[in-house]
Amino acid sequence: MASSAVVAHEIRSEGGFLAWLLAPQRRGPLLVAPALIVLFLMNIFPLLWSFGLSFYNYSAKKRDVPDFVGLRFFERVITDPTVWERFKTTAIIVSSSVLAQLVIGFLLALLFSKQFPLRRILLMLVLTPMMLSLVAVGVFFKLFYEPTFGLVSQAVAMFTGDRFALLGTPTGAIIGVVIADAWMWSPFVMLLVLAGLVSVPKYLYEAAEIDRASAWRRFQTITFPYIKSLLLLAVLFRTIETFKLFDVVYILTEGGPGSATETIGVYVYRLAFQYFRTSQSAALAYIILFVVIVLTSLYLYAVNRRAQEVD
Amino acid sequence: MKRSWEGWLYGVSLVAVAAGSLMLAPGQANAADITITMAAPDWPPTRFMKEEFDRSFKSASGNNVKLEMDYIPWPSFYERVAASLTSGEQKYQMIVTDSQWLGSFVDGGYYKDLTEEIKKDPELTAIMNDLHPALISAYSTYPNKSPQFIKDNPFPAPDTHYYGFPQFPDTYVTFYRKDLFCNETEAKKFQESFNQKLPCTYEDWQDVDWTTYENIGKHFMRKKGDPLGDGVADDDFFGISYQAGKSYDFSTMQVNAFIWQHGGEIWDETRQPEAQAEGVVNSETNVKAFEHYLSMLQYMPPVARTGQADIFVIQDLYMQGKTATTIDWVGLGEPVLDPKTSRVHDKSAFGPAPGLRKEDGTIDRTGNIGGQPFVLTTWNSPEVDAAALEVVKWWLKPETQKKFAANGGQSGLMSVMADPEYDSLRPWNRAHKEMLDWQRDVWHVPEFFELLTQQQEEFDKAITGQITAQEALDSIARFQQQTLEDAGRIE
Repeated sequence: MASSAVVAHEIRSEGGFLAWLLAPQRRGPLLVAPALIVLFLMNIFPLLWSFGLSFYNYSAKKRDVPDFVGLRFFERVITDPTVWERFKTTAIIVSSSVLAQLVIGFLLALLFSKQFPLRRILLMLVLTPMMLSLVAVGVFFKLFYEPTFGLVSQAVAMFTGDRFALLGTPTGAIIGVVIADAWMWSPFVMLLVLAGLVSVPKYLYEAAEIDRASAWRRFQTITFPYIKSLLLLAVLFRTIETFKLFDVVYILTEGGPGSATETIGVYVYRLAFQYFRTSQSAALAYIILFVVIVLTSLYLYAVNRRAQEVD
Repeated sequence: MKRSWEGWLYGVSLVAVAAGSLMLAPGQANAADITITMAAPDWPPTRFMKEEFDRSFKSASGNNVKLEMDYIPWPSFYERVAASLTSGEQKYQMIVTDSQWLGSFVDGGYYKDLTEEIKKDPELTAIMNDLHPALISAYSTYPNKSPQFIKDNPFPAPDTHYYGFPQFPDTYVTFYRKDLFCNETEAKKFQESFNQKLPCTYEDWQDVDWTTYENIGKHFMRKKGDPLGDGVADDDFFGISYQAGKSYDFSTMQVNAFIWQHGGEIWDETRQPEAQAEGVVNSETNVKAFEHYLSMLQYMPPVARTGQADIFVIQDLYMQGKTATTIDWVGLGEPVLDPKTSRVHDKSAFGPAPGLRKEDGTIDRTGNIGGQPFVLTTWNSPEVDAAALEVVKWWLKPETQKKFAANGGQSGLMSVMADPEYDSLRPWNRAHKEMLDWQRDVWHVPEFFELLTQQQEEFDKAITGQITAQEALDSIARFQQQTLEDAGRIE
């Protein structure tokens, strides 16, 4: 401590800007500064800039000077029936997919909470999908569903004699997207639930067994209370993520057939990078951001509750 | 003494260097290193251009001109080019562009108007006068002028602005399995079923209309184990295929052909602001044409029912031996003949695309042009512009064009196509040449992507059986009318 004070004194006594800058009380902020600068340039500035753009009439395709139009694009987005249709599609996909992930993830967690041969290897295999890239999963399922030579179609043809085009109907296409998304993310739910399951004290189950409590009663009174906040966390986290679903849908169906699987994420992309309605896409993106912030607040609330429970 | 001797030596050396520099200066002052970066889709026609450039390009100015290709995969080509242009990075000096993008990027101030440069340069003027009018119309003019207008008004046409030159002119033709179409058993069965000859030779395919094509579709639908040609089908086999995909323009290109052949119209951008969308796009003729298009999907592989039968999927299914024939772009022909990628590489032949038979017995094969022009960007310096125009002249020289045609490309120069040798350079050349006279193009206005995306979506709904042809075209007409009125293109 004394030696560093001496060094600092020597630096100060040598004088100059560098010495002032490297003074001990400034070293902390100095070390954090690069990260803050990057954060500002890469996140905060574009965020503010695009928010500002949503109040102007501007297309990135043209070199015209933007006109201030106030809330016109927010009004247009909110009153656009297409936007509401895309929100509806997104809601259907989100609710179906998150429900499927929850059920499958929960069942997998129950399975893996027990000890059995090859458990570790199987657990690794089950976790693999969520480590894959979204693009790879999209391409994989596209080939899987391909009606002429795809595995699903070939399997169905063995029974019906006819090829099966899952993505040929709106309902089939939504099911196809939900299966792909659920396949990828159920392991994530499983991991969270598994963490809850292993944290249940063994003596509670032993006591319940002595009381001859049924399996359902044991689950209701012991297991579920321990995992319910983790389940809520999983639901919220997966809802937020699925709400922004883009990659899998774009590769698998490109929003089709027609617009049956076009999520709000795909629609924002079209507005921004295909139609080049920059301001309108920015306004819609901020409405989506608002929805995600609401969901995130719920998520943080659940996290805090879980932390209190653990304490 | 020593110091003065050294000083003398330095003095002599300096004089010698200065003299040498003066002697070399005139030649070196004119020679400059110019690098042209071109945005190009990653496929054989642009790969060949780069290879041939490195082999044979010599700059007349003496400059050291380099052509650097930024190869971009097809699916993200538009987004990548648009992002580069709109970001202001000014990365590209030349761009291979789809003809539909002209309006968007001309209005945005990114593509250079070359009218004056062409007028001033007799070599470029000669090239324009040798290009097929359909190509000048689609690839070069904005606001768009019709092929007929270009035919009637050679360069420089009044009130016309020219932007691009053909990098790769493309048309769709028929790819077919000659082992099946020239098979005696199949021919006999086809004759019995439809009282028609099964087309085998190029000349036979010149007489194929949509009715015959539909019959071909019906005839070649086979289940696994059914007789096929001289053997049996090793898997389910399908008669025909054409574009029926939701992505980009992968159904519009084929639907437009049906519409034009039936005598219908799309919104006519050359007659702004009088031309209307409502009443034209959803006319009775257009509905009949679209219903005709939809009626043959049942003879295609089941992927057509999902709206994902894009140009690559139908090409792949043909190459894997799943279909008897397909209608696809010439640009996708080369892999069909490659044993590494195609199971039918030694069994394939090519003919003109089918069309609609008129009352006088002739066949109307009007189709939507494919391929791409290449353009110059507006931020180039005069030296770069001059070098880029040299590249244009080199690419459109008959020698280069013949080499291109011999390596899977196509020429847009009428003098090159008139060469008797041209037809035999690649097996599809004759069909391409015949189809070129029938080509028209979709819109070039800046709103094209919105018009296209909405249209593709509605076509896709009809293709997948969610709505009728009438409902699809009504929705398209309403949307186009509104969008184009908002843009001030319809009054």
